[in-house]
Parts: sequence; structure tokens; C-alpha cells
Amino acid sequence: MFISVKEKFTAQKHIAPLAVLRMAFGSIMLVSVVRFLLKGWVYAFYIKPKLHFTFYGFDWVKPLGVLGMYAMFALLILTSVLVTIGLFYRVAITGFFLCFTYVELIDKTTYLNHYYFISVMAFLMIWVPANRYYSADVWRKPGLQVTTVPGWCINIFKLQLILVYFFAGVSKLNYDWLIAAMPLRIWLPANNQLPVIGSLLTQVWVAHAFSWFGAIFDLFIGFLLLDTRTRKPAYFLVVLFHLFTAWFFKIGMFPYIMIFVTIVFFSEQTHLRVITYLKKVIPIKSEQELGRAYVLPPVKSGLIYSLLIIHFTIQLLLPFRYLLYPGKLYWTEEGYRFSWRVMLMEKGGTAFFHVKDPTTGHKTEIVNSQYLTRFQETQMSTQPDMILQFAHMLAKDYQQKGIDNPIVTAESYVTLNGSGTRLYIDSTVNLATQEETFGHKKWILPFHDKAQ
Amino acid sequence: MRKLIYTATIAVSAFVLIQSCSKSNPGNNNGNGGNTGGGFDRKGMLTNMSTNVIIPAYTAYQTATTNLDAAVTAFTTAPDAAKLTAVQTAFKTAYLQWQSTSEFEFGPAGDANLSAGVDTYPTNVTQINSNISANTYNPDLLANLSAKGLPAMDYLLFGIGADNNAILTQYTTDATAGNRKTLLGKLSAELKANAAKILTAWNGTYKNTFLNATGTDVGSSAGQMVNELVFDYELLKNDEIGIPAGVQSMGTVFPEKVQAYYSKISLQLLLAHLQGVQDVYTGKDGLGFDDYVASTTAKYTDGTPLNDAIIKQFATAKAKLQTLTDPLSDNIKTNPTAVTAAYTELQKLTVMLKTDMPSALGILITFGDNDGD
Repeated sequence: MFISVKEKFTAQKHIAPLAVLRMAFGSIMLVSVVRFLLKGWVYAFYIKPKLHFTFYGFDWVKPLGVLGMYAMFALLILTSVLVTIGLFYRVAITGFFLCFTYVELIDKTTYLNHYYFISVMAFLMIWVPANRYYSADVWRKPGLQVTTVPGWCINIFKLQLILVYFFAGVSKLNYDWLIAAMPLRIWLPANNQLPVIGSLLTQVWVAHAFSWFGAIFDLFIGFLLLDTRTRKPAYFLVVLFHLFTAWFFKIGMFPYIMIFVTIVFFSEQTHLRVITYLKKVIPIKSEQELGRAYVLPPVKSGLIYSLLIIHFTIQLLLPFRYLLYPGKLYWTEEGYRFSWRVMLMEKGGTAFFHVKDPTTGHKTEIVNSQYLTRFQETQMSTQPDMILQFAHMLAKDYQQKGIDNPIVTAESYVTLNGSGTRLYIDSTVNLATQEETFGHKKWILPFHDKAQ
Repeated sequence: MRKLIYTATIAVSAFVLIQSCSKSNPGNNNGNGGNTGGGFDRKGMLTNMSTNVIIPAYTAYQTATTNLDAAVTAFTTAPDAAKLTAVQTAFKTAYLQWQSTSEFEFGPAGDANLSAGVDTYPTNVTQINSNISANTYNPDLLANLSAKGLPAMDYLLFGIGADNNAILTQYTTDATAGNRKTLLGKLSAELKANAAKILTAWNGTYKNTFLNATGTDVGSSAGQMVNELVFDYELLKNDEIGIPAGVQSMGTVFPEKVQAYYSKISLQLLLAHLQGVQDVYTGKDGLGFDDYVASTTAKYTDGTPLNDAIIKQFATAKAKLQTLTDPLSDNIKTNPTAVTAAYTELQKLTVMLKTDMPSALGILITFGDNDGD
């Protein structure tokens, strides 16, 4: 077992899958970024809001103003193109990773697992020579071309994808998803206007079937893609599954990104065929293939190995960190993000904030929309760390208005997977004096309290 | 390979065992939002909404503004006490009708930004008077947003004198009487023109656009209706009662910030508005959000069916408001406890309309992508 793992890591493999992955990833990123711009989201998410919800420890990440934000997106477009064609690849992919991650770090309102996935993929792509075959760089400097790369250069992406699917599947193994068929039992009937299958979607058994199929698909698809015998039907399922979810749910580019990047599982012969086909369309003159292998000096490869070991250790552990917190994960959302938990909750909330002047005892209710966009307000109402951040923003604002040590309380009503709204935050706690930490937030009221 | 699959299977089984022990959906084993049969007829709801709620509202509002404009013309041509009373009556009718028309700020009304032009208050008296003395009025000027529409007319028809005799002199013997009449005419003509524009759009192509957006995403008709209903309802709660009552200003009351401060019909308007919101929720006698919510098994926190809880809350809020009297601006000062009690009930309804209802129906309330699988 160990030897075969080492084999998979170091043995030389044909570079073709990596070159195709580079083009697939680059082009789908180009589409994603352009779509984001065309939807007006750069303005709506990063320019219009007066305040932003930064991630813990990343307070220094600030939006860059109108010019800066559009320049950032221009850079993202440019680097996506460069990655796709493989020109100045290392600089381009590093630039893409940094710009994309920076944008995502500005405001957790927009957090999506699929944005996190893009950052992770881009990060991994920095360390591999994806430009050493069928690329503008090779055309520019023929000496760069290699025919084979160490197996890890390709297999890290397969491993990452397996982890994403597997953890997404594991997170579905719970009562809400499997037994109550939640939230699909709410979401599917909301699509009953669709032709042909619309009326089916209102059936309870269909919600159950979809839930179970989704869980099984996520758990096993990565492994089925790995095995030569099951690969083709598995990829067919990938396409089918993601197209279906794209049709039902407003999940943007994610389905297409997955359909594109899972191509990496295919054999080198398949990828060579893809490249042969592409060469007919865009012929790139290159030197005769000399069968040169990509070999890194020991120091460099040692560094990359350590980096990858750290990366995958984090990837393996992060989804389990929720076990360190008490209470129901979906309710508290402590340890929820960065764990490939997708489509698990129909959660909504309304939050009223009050600011009290401790000297006069006078109290004021906050109109959230005076501070936040609708999108921010919606996201904030159901996420305790954002509620705390908003409370701190309010405390700061009222401090500036001349009220010393304002008392900020939140009265938030939240519904989770059809539970009916119930009080979410202890509305007697002064959030202004509560600190953000990695610890458990004691002022989140337990989910079960009222229900039984 | 096989080993991997075995390992995965074992890991998975272990997890099922662990996680299935932590059952987490209390009192909801029947699920929620599930439908039997073909599911709720959203298109039917949209048909009823447009035919029996929205278009009748715009039609009535267009009629009311036409009558108002006619009354203004009659009055400004030959001002007298009877015609002043007639304008005032027509004004109140139009304002009351507006309260069940403001709920639909999407489609044509959204594009035209109708609400801001019709009902931005408190009105800016200084700006109105400077428009009169300069005898100019540019409807597109941003500064005139708070010097136009029903609130500006409220001031011009009720606020420029202690009683109707005094008001009448402002249109007859006052030095700027002519300019004042001109402005009043322009304001009512603008209201009338905008109302007609929206009605024409609904009677034209927009109705089909509305009927065909049968989904539940933000751009769908159901999605837009919910979003704008909630937005409008929050205006009711905040602007029509909360802000004047000092809820958002450390307890400092602002009685003069009530809607229709000069004509003193604030509470009447508030009740009409709540009824308007309720009519959108129920779709009057036809298919509405009430039927939609009832078609699911959604429950309120206390275990009662969600639709029953919402209907009950409408009634409770209405009853609390009915303990108040016009002028609301006085009540805010003299009866703050009752005002706060009414506000609290309106607040509860906010949560139901803004969170319970959309969440039970799976209606999206924000744009942007969701997390995908």
C-alpha cells in the first residue's frame, strides 16, 4: 500500500492531463469572472456596501475602491487568459490565486464553498509545471517542453477532488438530510413550474430519493472516477448530476467548474486525444517530443512536498473541527465553513439590533438597511460571527456619535430547515463587549430549547 | 482500489451511526413545505394576483389621481371653500388608495421608482416654498424628491394655514398665490401621469411577463412580490410608526415625521396600508400566499400551522393599531405605551413575512449564487 502511494507520487507520468487541466481551469475561470462582472456584482458586493464582514484575522483586507476593484477583476481576466494559453504561467497562476483569494477575503457575505474550491485549486496549480506542454510558454521557449512529470503533479488534483466530494457526502449523513429529506423537501417543490418533471418534484418520495442519491453520489463518485473500469459511467454521472443541480438551483458556475476539472481523472491517452484535437484547431509549433522528464532539484521538491503534506493535512482535519464545538452545527455554524458543506440548510432570519446609552438608559432600534445591503443583512441574520461583527460596527458608530460604551444587543429570529423562527441570540447579552475568538460563543441560544 | 472503497464504506457507516444518533429536527418529522399532488399552482396565484389585486389597485389609484388632478384644476381655476374641500377629499381618497398600491414596487413601478416619487416624507417645506417663490419646479431634481408627491400636497392642502379659510387665502389673496396654484397643479399632474404610465404597462405587455415568471428565484414574480412586500411592510413599520415614535432615535419622538402629518389621517393610512399588505398576502378571495403557505406543512414555532399564525398576527397587529386614534402625531406624545405595544406586534409580523414565509416556500430573497453541490 505504502509503496504504491509512493509510486503514485514520484513515478513519471505523461504531462497531458496537466496541460488539459490548465486549459480547462483557466477557461472556466475566465467565464466565471466575466459572468461576475456582467451581473454587476463587483459593484453590488464590493463597491456599494459601506461596511464589510471580513474573516477573523483578515481585518486588514479592504476593498480597493471603484478603480481598484475593477482593476482587480481586469487582472483576474488577464491571468485567466494567460493560464488558459499557458503564457507566463507561474506568474499568471500565482497572480490569479492572490487576486481571487483577496477578493473572497473582503467580505464573508459572499462566501461560497465553490469560491473556496477555486482558491484551493489555484493554490495547488502554482506548484505544478502545467505550462510545459502545448502552451504559449513552450512555443516561446521550446526548451521548456517536457513529456512527463512526477505523478504527484497530477494526483494532487485527484486527491483534492476526492476530498471535496467525499466530505460533501459525509456532511449529508445526518438526520435532516437522510430522514427528513431537508432542505430538498422545501427546495424541490419550489421548482414545480419546470416542464416535464415539475409535478414530480412536489412528491415527498422524490425529495427522499434525491437526498439519498446525492449523498451516495458524493461519497463514492471520487473513487469511481479513480478506477479505470468505472470511470466512464462515473463521469457520465458527474455531468448528469451537475447539470441537474444547475437546472434546479441557483448555484452559478459550480456545476460547470466541476464538470470541467473532473476531466483530470481520465487517462493520459484520453488527454492526448484532447490535445491532438485541439492542435488541429490551434496548432502550436513545438519541438519534437524528446521524452524529457520534469525533474526538480531535491531542495525544491522537498519544499513542495512539505507544503503539500501541510496542505492536505489541513484539508483532512478542517472539516472535522466542528466536533470541538458544542451544540448543533447547522444552528451555531461554528466550524461550518471551509468544510464542503453544501446545500444542507434552508436557513433564514430576521435580526433586530438595539443600541442603548448606558448613562441615559435610552434605547434605539437599528435600521439594518442604513448600514448593510440586503444581501449582507440576509447573510448576517443567520450567522453568529457576522452578528457579532455587525454589533461591533454599531458600537463603533455610536461611540463616534458621542455615546460612551454603547450597549448593543441582538434580537434575531432564525428558522432552520423548516423549524419555524425562534430566538437565536441571547438578546440580553451586550455584544459590544464580546470578543470574536475561535472558542464557542456562549450567547448563541441552543436550538432545542423551545421546540419540545 | 478495492481497499479504498472498503475504507470509505466503513468510515461512512461509522458516520451514519454517530450522526443518526443526534436527531436534530424536533417536532418536524412530517417535514415541511412538502406538497402532495401536483404541488401549489403558482401560476394560478400570479393570475389571481394580477387580475384581482395588482391591476385593480393600479386602476383605482389611477382613477383617484385623475380625480385629484381634476379637483385641483377646478380649484386653481376658481378657488373657493367648497372646491378646497373637494380637493382635500380627493386627496385623502388618493392617499388611502396609494396604501394598497405601494406594495408592488417591481416591474413597471420598480423601473419608474414610483414609490419614491409618490410618497417620500417628511416633506421638505423649505424646498416647496422656494419652488413657489421662484415659480420653478423641476421634477427630475433630486432635491425635489422630498418636495413632491402626496406629502407635498398634504402640506399645500392642509398645512399652510390654521384652518381652511386661512389656507384659501394662500390661493387667493396671498402674494404668491399664483405660483402656489401652479405648483399644486404640476404636482397633481405628475402623480396622475405616473399612475397612468404604470397602469398602461400592466395592461400592456408586462402582465404576461409577470404571469410567465413562474419560478421562485429572485427575478421570478413570486420572488419579487415577496421581496417588495417585505420591503414595503418594513416602511410601514419603520416610517409610519417606528421613526415618529422614537423607536430609532434613542426615545426622542418625532411626531412631525408621521405620514400625512398635516391632514392628520396617519392612523387611517396605517390601517389601510396593513390591509393592503394583508390583501397581497391573501390574494383577496383567490389564490394567494396564504394558500401557498397552507399547501405546505410549515409550522410556526408554537406548533400552529404557519398560515394560521400569520393571519392571526395580522389581526393582532390591527387590533393594537385600532386602540390608537388620529392624529397619530398627538397619540405618540400622549399614549406612548399603546404606540409601543402596536409597534411590537408589527415587529412580530415582520419576522413572519420576512423569514418564516419565504423559508417555508423556498423563495429566494437575495440575488447572488447559492452554494452548489
